[in-house]
Formats: sequence, structure tokens, C-alpha cells
Amino acid sequence: MIWTLALAPMLLGLLLYAWPRSADAAAKWFGVAVAGCAFVVTLLSANAPDESVRWLQRPFTANFHAGLGGLSYWLVLLLTLTTACALASTRISRQRDFVAQMLVLMGAMTGLFVARDLLVFALFWDLMLIPVFLILVAWTPSKSSASAWRYLIYNLTGGLALLLATAAYGMLEGSTDVLGATLGRGATAIGPAWGEWIFAGFAFAFLVKTPVWPFHTWMPSAYADLPPAAAAVVSAVQSKGGLYGFLVVTAPLMPEQMRAALPLMFVLGLVGLVYGAVVALVQDDAKRVVAYSSLSHLGLILIAIFSGNPLALSGAVVYVLAHGLFSAGLFIVLGQVEQREETRSIARLGGLGARNPRLAGSLTIVALAALGLPGLCGFAGEILILTGLYQTGAVWVAGIALVPIIVAAAYMLRLFQGIMQGPEVEDLPERADASFLELLAIAPLVLAIVLLGVNPGPVLAARSLAPAQLSAVEVQR
Amino acid sequence: MTPSLVIPWGSADWTAIAPIIVIALAPLLVLLADLTLPRAARRPAALSLALLGTAAAGLVALAGWGKPYVAFGGGFVLGGFTIAFEEIVIVATLFSLLMAYRLGREDQTAGGLALMLWSAAGAMLMAGAANLMTIFLGLELLSLGLYCLCGLAGRAGAREAALKYLILSSTASAFMLYGMALLFGATGSIQLSALAGANLSAPLFAVGVGMFLIGFAFKLSLAPFHVWTPDVYEGAPLPVTAFMSVATKAGALAVVARFAYAALSTPQSHVLLQPLWILAALSMLVGNLAALAQTDMKRLLAYSGVAQLGYIVAGMAGTTAFGLRYAIFYLAAYTFMNLGAFAVVALLSHDREEGSRLSAFEGLGYRQPVLAGAMTFFLLALAGLPPTAGFTGKVLILAATVGAGYAWLAGVLIVGTAISAYVYIKIVRAMYGRTTGAEIKRPVVPSSPLPWIGVGLCALATLVLGLYPIAPSDVLPLVK
Repeated sequence: MIWTLALAPMLLGLLLYAWPRSADAAAKWFGVAVAGCAFVVTLLSANAPDESVRWLQRPFTANFHAGLGGLSYWLVLLLTLTTACALASTRISRQRDFVAQMLVLMGAMTGLFVARDLLVFALFWDLMLIPVFLILVAWTPSKSSASAWRYLIYNLTGGLALLLATAAYGMLEGSTDVLGATLGRGATAIGPAWGEWIFAGFAFAFLVKTPVWPFHTWMPSAYADLPPAAAAVVSAVQSKGGLYGFLVVTAPLMPEQMRAALPLMFVLGLVGLVYGAVVALVQDDAKRVVAYSSLSHLGLILIAIFSGNPLALSGAVVYVLAHGLFSAGLFIVLGQVEQREETRSIARLGGLGARNPRLAGSLTIVALAALGLPGLCGFAGEILILTGLYQTGAVWVAGIALVPIIVAAAYMLRLFQGIMQGPEVEDLPERADASFLELLAIAPLVLAIVLLGVNPGPVLAARSLAPAQLSAVEVQR
Repeated sequence: MTPSLVIPWGSADWTAIAPIIVIALAPLLVLLADLTLPRAARRPAALSLALLGTAAAGLVALAGWGKPYVAFGGGFVLGGFTIAFEEIVIVATLFSLLMAYRLGREDQTAGGLALMLWSAAGAMLMAGAANLMTIFLGLELLSLGLYCLCGLAGRAGAREAALKYLILSSTASAFMLYGMALLFGATGSIQLSALAGANLSAPLFAVGVGMFLIGFAFKLSLAPFHVWTPDVYEGAPLPVTAFMSVATKAGALAVVARFAYAALSTPQSHVLLQPLWILAALSMLVGNLAALAQTDMKRLLAYSGVAQLGYIVAGMAGTTAFGLRYAIFYLAAYTFMNLGAFAVVALLSHDREEGSRLSAFEGLGYRQPVLAGAMTFFLLALAGLPPTAGFTGKVLILAATVGAGYAWLAGVLIVGTAISAYVYIKIVRAMYGRTTGAEIKRPVVPSSPLPWIGVGLCALATLVLGLYPIAPSDVLPLVK
């Protein structure tokens, strides 16, 4: 069942190329249906037992081992939800091909999040780059593919470092089937000499993917050039692969190296936190504002993960999901704006709110969630992280981290004001307000934003891959 | 195991080289068919006979599995190692034949096919060669056919390619032969097994090993001895290029592997092999860097081959048993993904022009989606991306190099692979990217639909080997 969740979307996506071109519009609803089904199936299989198929026996053991416990469950839910919403709101040329690539992407990322074997994790890590690259080259608004290349070279270099670290880990440990159940097992076996190198390989891949300053330069151009639906999924879910990796790969397997890397990661996180917020404040391209705000938010999560404080870790998990929800919402709504007005320039846009109250309403909610309004999901994560950091005694870190959170209010409100408020711009094309379908596409995200904001409880325990309630299989073992 | 017989031409010895005999006799039938049959039936008959002969040789070779055997007084050794390499040569020959329906002019086709099979026989002889004489015999049998085949295309570049290959390859052979002479002088024997007990400190021996390896580095086109490769690959007809890119490499690799594992596997002699691993590292970097700038698929695949051979040789670093298994696995994976890419190029070729220019791929994703999809798959495999045999193979090679204590080589491999991503995915971008006028081009009608079989089978094998990496355990080379 779990592997079906990963493989079926990929197969259906490839089969979609046989879909008749004349039914381009219907392909989109096929995609929404597949993603929706995946969401429902995931929702219902919270306690699904692990599945394992043998892959390699020599030189080390590697299995196609999948599980849906703990953090995996929530991330697959986030992934399928955002994919469904993003596809529902999409309107693009060659829609069939686009939906096909998005389904392949969804399947590959599901594979990443359910993988319980490091080598399988590395496999899907590389695999999920390909559809994004193809989307970037085929639907980029510019003639050059610079953003696509930057995306691919950065992320693939990270992926290769991950692969080398995985191979080395496998050779030393004898098995890569170590995620999930066996907490803290690898730390002693690897030894300090190799441990540092292997940790460096993992950390490099995760830092590039997240992205964390100074490895972030692939991100703004990629998010700006991706079609809104793809940007939503990549920023909401794919970039979480890095933080997920820190949480479920390095934290349990190499805690000593995690502790040793703490000062460096605090510095990187804090620089990204401040730098992202400041740059977001002056961007003209609305999508780049969101991109740089991500850099800022993800820096905070990085700090929380490395602090090792249970409260901060729970906050990190909540904030990972929260950031996924509101960044997907932001990209989707901004996509709807761009579709109407054919520009994303904040300077050029203005006064849309008067004629498009429903569109303005959507943007308000997701922007408020992003700036951390109490009651919405962003706040729940931030307050937990800050409290946790304060508890560990890293008061100065918590203090610095507080500043960009305040700046977030400034750039998010600036984004909202620039687009929705102010005098109406004469020469912008006038289009109808958000349609019922467009609202329907954003509604599930809004619902999730509120739910996670008022009741983050179920997510708090999902700090690792251990299932919340041990299934019968687990108990027997 | 039967010991080597006193009379070296005893009847039992022939079974050891039965597959080679089959593949060497098949060309006679091909030529006979070409002489006797009516004009219209010549090409189909010649190709069918060549395919049948090769496939039969493959089956005969498989029948020898599990029966290690020393023939011709230690000149030819049969075992898992030999059969693995023989089968790789057979597979490469089969897929190259599928592209070779219109090899050369109409009256040249049968002769070309015959030469290709004889070359394959030479490569198979190298797979089992265990003394210096048999090695040289196999190498010359392999090369002589190829000199003619390279010049088969009607272009001016073809003659240049043939001449270049002849001169440079002969030079390399001369190096190697001189090295062999020195080795014989140092040990007093032509058997590879005699080298194991040689006096390592003798300068004669070290120089002999060095010259021998330089000669084979030429044949394997390891950097910096690779400069002939792109020109020859570009000038030769496409099926010949495809054949050379795998079969000659497999033959040469078998010799190098047997030499490294059987003759120089003592800890003291490891130092003599160090240059080989350095050449592997250089190949990975030079091959991929040079491939960056190529605009012709055949040249690009030539440089890519330089890098891929670097990966394979890197797998043998430290001459560990598992390293050899994964090197052979990667060679098999490379056979399929590389020949699959060649088959796609063949399907983009028509009678007047080979579809090897990079421009032939522009917009292919919209004109011929299935072909473009297959090509994408092969390119991802060559770049070492999942879900392909290229990915699994690279993981195994990485594990082997790290496990043998050559972490620096694994690091170089990663850097090389990162560079290679741009090389291969550049073509993917051309196929799917936004290009002007790409949609206007019409789908190419290939000169023969046979390469489709190659595309299909190679794609299947690349996928299946990625998910079920079967590497036979019994592949350590034997010497007598």
C-alpha cells in the first residue's frame, strides 16, 4: 500500500502522455483526482505496517523499505494536499504534459518521505530533481534555461554528496536500512574519523536543498521561473526534504556530529534568517518576496532542529508543515494574480482588492499565516521554537531570531499592500474576481492553516519516524 | 579441473573456445549468402545470419558456465570472468548489428558485418586470454577488422578516422608489445601467472608493466591516451562506433583486469598499479570536461565513454574481489545504456545523414515523444541518476572504492559525475526545452526500424538491472 502511494502517481503520470491532446483541460482534473485519492489513502493509512522488498545484499544490505509512521505521515499528507490544490488552480499551456510531470514529482517525493532505507532515500532524492528540471526547461518564461541549470547543478551536487555519504555509511555499517526503528544505532559504529565526512556529505545535501544561506542562490530564480503550481509544491514540500533529512537521518544516526556542527548551523541559520528577511523587504517580484521569506523561515527551523530541545523540535515539525501550507497558499494566490494581470511586479500592481475582494481575501489569510498571526499555523510553530530556544539557554539566538519574525510582518504586509491596496492602476487588464473553482482550490489549504494553528497537538509528537502508536508488527519486533 | 594437456591441441581444448569458433565461422556464411543470393535478399540474409551466429555464440558461451577450464597450455582460461566478458561482447555485437542494416554501400554491407563478427571474436579471445601471446592475438584480431570498418562510411572524415585509428592503435600495440617483451625478459615466461612470482624490484619488470599498461590505456581510451577516440568515433559509421564503444573496451578491460588481479595482486606489487587508478581519476575529469563542449552526439559519447571507463577502472581500485564484480556490473549497465543511446541516434539517421548532430534532438520531445522519452532514460542512466542501472552501478562502484580504501577516488568520481550531469542533461534540455522552430521539423523516417528493438531491450535492461543488480559472484579471473 505504501509503495503504491509512491509508484502509482508516477506510473499514472507517465501514462498520462497517452491522454488525447484535445482533452487537455480534463487532464488537470485527472491529476487533481489522483492527488486527492493519494491524500485520502494516506489519511486512512496512519497505522499502515512497514513494507520491505530486498534490493541489495552485497556489499551492504539495502531494502526498498517503506513506512508511514511519524513525520512521514504528515509530510505525505502535506504533499498530496498541496499537489491537489496546486493542480486544481493551475492554468497553463500543454496542460497534459504539465500534470504528468507534477504527478511524477508527487510520486517521487512520496517515495522520499516514506523511505526507511538510506539508499532508497538517496534514490528518490535524485529522482525528484528530474521532473522539476523538466518543468523548468519546458515552461520557463525566459528563453534561457539558466534557472533550470542552477537548480539542477546545485541540487544534484548535493544529491551526489548524499550518495557518496550513503555508500560510505553502508560500507561501514553493513546496512542502509536504518531509518525509523533503530534510533541512535549508527553513532558508535561509524567512529569519529569517518563520521565527520559522512555527516558533511549528508549535511551538504540537506543544506542545499532546504536551502540555507549561502547555498540558496538556486532558489529565487527557480521559484520565480517555475509555474505557480510547481513553485507551490517545490517550495512547500520538496525543499522540506533537507529539514526532514536533518530530523530523521542525521539526528538519530549521528547525534555527536549534530552537536559538533551546532555553532556552524546556528550561524548559517541566523545569517539566512536575517538576510532573507532583509532581501524580501526590497524585492519587486512578488514570487521572489516569498522565496526570500522562505530562506528566512527555514533558517529558523534549522536552528530549532540543531538546538536539540524537545520543545523547539516539536516547533520545528509544526513550522515545517506550517511553512508548507502558507508558502503553497502564497504561490497559488500569486499565480492567480499573475494569471489576471500578467505581471508579478509589486511596483506595477496595485489596487486589485477593490475589484477582486475574494482574491484579496485569499491573499490576506495566507499572508497573515506567513507573518505569524496567533491562531494561524505560522504562530504555533514560531512560539514553540522561540520558547524552546529560550529554554536551552540560547537567549541571544532567540533574541536575534525574534527580529526577522517582526520584519516578516513588514514584508508580507508590503506584499499585500502593493498588490491589493492603493489606487487602482489604470492600464492593468481588468479580469473577473476569483472564481468559485479558484476559491475551492485554496480552501483546503486555508482550512489546514487554521486547523494546525488552533490545534497543533497531533503533530507535536511526530518528531521522528517512530509511529505515534506502535502497530502490531512493531510490537512483535 | 582438467590440467593443461601435454599435447596442446588435444580435442578437449576446442570446447573452451567453442563460442569464438561459432562467431568466427558465422561470417563465412554471411559472405556466402552475399555471393549466392539474389540482390534483394542479400542484406536481410546477411544481417539475419550475422545476428543468428552471434546469438548462437552467446548461447554456446553460456553453456560453459560453472566449468572453469584451462586450455591451450594456459593460453586461454575459461571461467565466470571469461564468460561474463564474452557475453558483454556478444550483447554489444547484437545491438550494433541491429543498427547495421545499411552499413556502407550495398555491396559492402555483408563484408562489413563479417568484419564486425571477426572483431568480436578477437574481443572474446581477449576475454579469456591468459598469456601474453593470446592477448596479442586477440587484440590484433579485434583491431584489424576495425581498421577497415572505420573507413566504411563514404565521407572524407571516415578515411581520416580509419588512418588515425590505424596509426595510433598500432603505436599503442607497439608499446604494449615492447612491454610484453620486457616482461618476458624479466620472468622468462609468457604466462600471466609467471608474473606473480617475478622479482618486483627489477627495473625491467616495472618498465615492462608500465609499457603494457600504457598500451592498454590507449585501447581503453583512458586519459591522457584518449585523444584518438572522438575523431575515430565521429568518422566511423554509427554501428561501428557503437560496437567500438563497448566491445573493444570490454576486451581490453578483461585483459587489464586479469593482469591486475591475477598477475599483480600481491600487496607488494600494488604500487605498480597505482598509475592505473590515477589514469582512472584523470579520465573521469578529462572525459566529462571535454564532453561539455561537444555538439555532436558521437563525439559526446566518445568523451563520455572515456569518463565511464574511468568509473569502471576506479571500481577495480585496490583489486578487491567485490570491486571487480561491480566493475563488471557497471560495464554491463554501460553496455545497455550506451548502446540504447546509440540506437536512438540510429533512429534519427536517414540515408543521407546520421542524426548525430545535437540539433537533431531539438524539440524531439514534441515530435517523437516515445523516442525522446527513451533517450532521456538512457541519458539519465549515463549521468548516474535513478531509477536506472547507471544509478545502482554507481552506488556499487562508490561502495567498492570506499571499501577498498580509495576514498579520494570516490570523491573524484562524484566530481566527475556532477560535471557529467550537464553533459547529458544538456541533450534532455534540447529535447524538451523551448526552442524556436523545433515544432516545424518533421519526424525523421529512419533508414531501418530495427534499432527500435535495441531501444526497447536496452531500456528494459537498464531499468531491470537498476532494480535487480545481478552481479555473478564467480567472476574472479583465473590464470594458469
